[in-house]
Amino acid sequence: MEPTTTSSSIDTVATTTDTTTIDANISDETISDEAKSLHELAITGSWKTILEKVSTARSLSLLRYPHEHLVYLAFNAVALSKLRRYSEALDDIESSLEDLNSSCYRYESYPHVYPNKCGSMIPFSLRWLHALLPSFLNRRSESVDRLYLLLNFVRSRIDEGFNREVWIRRESFVVSTIISQHSSQKEFVVCFDLINEMLRKDVDNLILLSKLGYVQLQFGDLDGAKSSFQRVEDVAKKNGDEGLSVEVLNLMGRNKALIFMVAKDYVSAIRQYDECIERDESDVVSINNKALCLMYLRDLSDSIKVLENSLERVPTVALNETLVVNLCSMYELAYVNHTDIKKTLSNWIARLAPDDFDPSCTRI
Amino acid sequence: MSGTNTAAQANHSLAFRVMRLCRPSLQVDTPFSLIPLISSLAKMIPLSSILFLPILLPLMAISLSALASFSLILPMLLDSLASSAIYLGETFCSYISINNSSGYEVRDVVIKAEIQTERQRILLLDTSKSPVDTIRAGGRYDFIVEHDVKELGAHTLVCSALYNDGDADRKYLPQFFKFIVANPLSVRTKVRMVKDLTFLEACIENHTKSNLFMDQVEFQPAQHWGATVLSADTSLAEKNITSDKEIFKPPILIKAGGGIHNFLYQLKVSSQESTQTRTEGSNILGKLQITWRTNLGEPGRLQTQNILGSPAPRKEIDLQVVKIPPAIFLHKPFEVQLSLTNQTERALGHLRFGFLVIPMGRGRSWLMASRLWLCQRFGLPVPLI
Repeated sequence: MEPTTTSSSIDTVATTTDTTTIDANISDETISDEAKSLHELAITGSWKTILEKVSTARSLSLLRYPHEHLVYLAFNAVALSKLRRYSEALDDIESSLEDLNSSCYRYESYPHVYPNKCGSMIPFSLRWLHALLPSFLNRRSESVDRLYLLLNFVRSRIDEGFNREVWIRRESFVVSTIISQHSSQKEFVVCFDLINEMLRKDVDNLILLSKLGYVQLQFGDLDGAKSSFQRVEDVAKKNGDEGLSVEVLNLMGRNKALIFMVAKDYVSAIRQYDECIERDESDVVSINNKALCLMYLRDLSDSIKVLENSLERVPTVALNETLVVNLCSMYELAYVNHTDIKKTLSNWIARLAPDDFDPSCTRI
Repeated sequence: MSGTNTAAQANHSLAFRVMRLCRPSLQVDTPFSLIPLISSLAKMIPLSSILFLPILLPLMAISLSALASFSLILPMLLDSLASSAIYLGETFCSYISINNSSGYEVRDVVIKAEIQTERQRILLLDTSKSPVDTIRAGGRYDFIVEHDVKELGAHTLVCSALYNDGDADRKYLPQFFKFIVANPLSVRTKVRMVKDLTFLEACIENHTKSNLFMDQVEFQPAQHWGATVLSADTSLAEKNITSDKEIFKPPILIKAGGGIHNFLYQLKVSSQESTQTRTEGSNILGKLQITWRTNLGEPGRLQTQNILGSPAPRKEIDLQVVKIPPAIFLHKPFEVQLSLTNQTERALGHLRFGFLVIPMGRGRSWLMASRLWLCQRFGLPVPLI
């Protein structure tokens, strides 16, 4: 799991200021300083503060324009979701928006406010949350339906031709969400099909190719996974071995390590992960997986050290639920009285973790 | 925590901790690590401000790379694994750690680990020949054991330690970890004979909670038999758009909880003597060997029992028409030459010939078919043609 508050890793996205709508910017008069600060709070993960600000703005009727309500709604829903208050988030969205396609959410309906603007005011994140949230409330099939509808919506925007790059990014994002849904239900063949579909449009996408390999690993097709990872290398090295970015080198390194792990060659896997960590000391995935390999080599003490070290050295990236779950499993194995050491960890986490960290992962 | 005997452990300096080391699972991305920031916010911030640029893009970039991250998660401890099934054909691999939680050093530790089932005890580890000299206070001794699971039902992993504690008393600590082995698959076979070809249809049903990737399903024929697998043509061509795209190879995956997959084999007798072996009554066709994989390639392997061919109704008498005239005329006698072979090992007698003529239609060619009945001892007519 990746934390929200770090610098970028693979920047495969072109820089653009394009937005959800067809037309460009609103005039500066509609800018609100509050909205800008909400944005900054989101970057730092201060979701509780965002909730307070939105609540104040709403109760004092500070919001003047239709689109402002929607933007505040979006921030509110995102914050609630990050704090795992899913039903409140969905209620807020569903009570405020009856029909996402209704004309009352389009700029054309308010020509006196937005002259010469057309398009939908609904922020994309709202559409996405509206589709995804039911799955957290035991309404999974509703989510899957809404996500596929959202995918259709995004694809029709791509066909229209405006802001293509933005909509293509969003298409990839929605497909990833759909894949997560299917993956959690172990519907791996569907995931496989979806990734292949995306690969047809973007045949050299290293991340998609790697992802294909992971899905193949999850259902046990080792040869298939090997060939997918080989494709990643072939595509990456198409223009020679030089000039490959650290992210790409680490991606390939981690893929190689997984194949070693699957073949139970943990020593070679650790070597790969060490190379990755040397290139990028914030590569949490390599750190986490290296610790697991040490365990499979009967070296429980070192595996614990690797994880504890990472929490000290690079806490912002290392502090994620997966790593903590693994560390706690190791504590339970290593110590008969593991409650004490888990409590120490838990207290340390409580001091440093952002609002959205799920403390139940320590299993205390 | 242990499987049992928590009260007894209170007197012990040592304790066993056990974790089943099946393959780790891949963390599925939770979507909320990937939330794209509200891009419409771009409308609210002047272009001159560069604040929002780094936010939007890194988050989207992270979302793409997070998809590639897939961290691994360890399996849970054995005693919380009661609900997680271990299946026949898999390998039980376990990390066992013996901890000294007392304040005193412990000496001369003889450690044993064995699996007990209804039928047998299998020793996995025994350090009696070279006991562990010492485990210091707060220290640990770790080992990993592996065992191919070949029996169904209740299994107990018994870990025991014989040691000298801080007071130089010789103590014995046994700990028990129970798990149940279930059947992952069931195989139903049907044997059909078409002329002299035998077809074996095997239906594999998956009883586990995960999809099974069929690595290999091989029919190993018995002596004198040869087998070829028959599979449907997969039209791969229509999946490709251009010729240099990766060929989509659909895996053979049997769905969890009741999914099935059918396999078809064509069996042929591979030697002349086989007809004799068939009449001897042994009709063992062979065995099915199945190898599957689950998460991260965790392998499993099973073999079926001998698959028997269907008892073919053995013809004791074989009748062949050697010569029959192409046209037969009314009121004119005609000659039919027949060959009768006794295919049993005993003499058959009391043969009676009957000749039954069945008219097939009106007109000139009304004698088109006839039946020859061979009546054996008990008078039951057996149609031969």
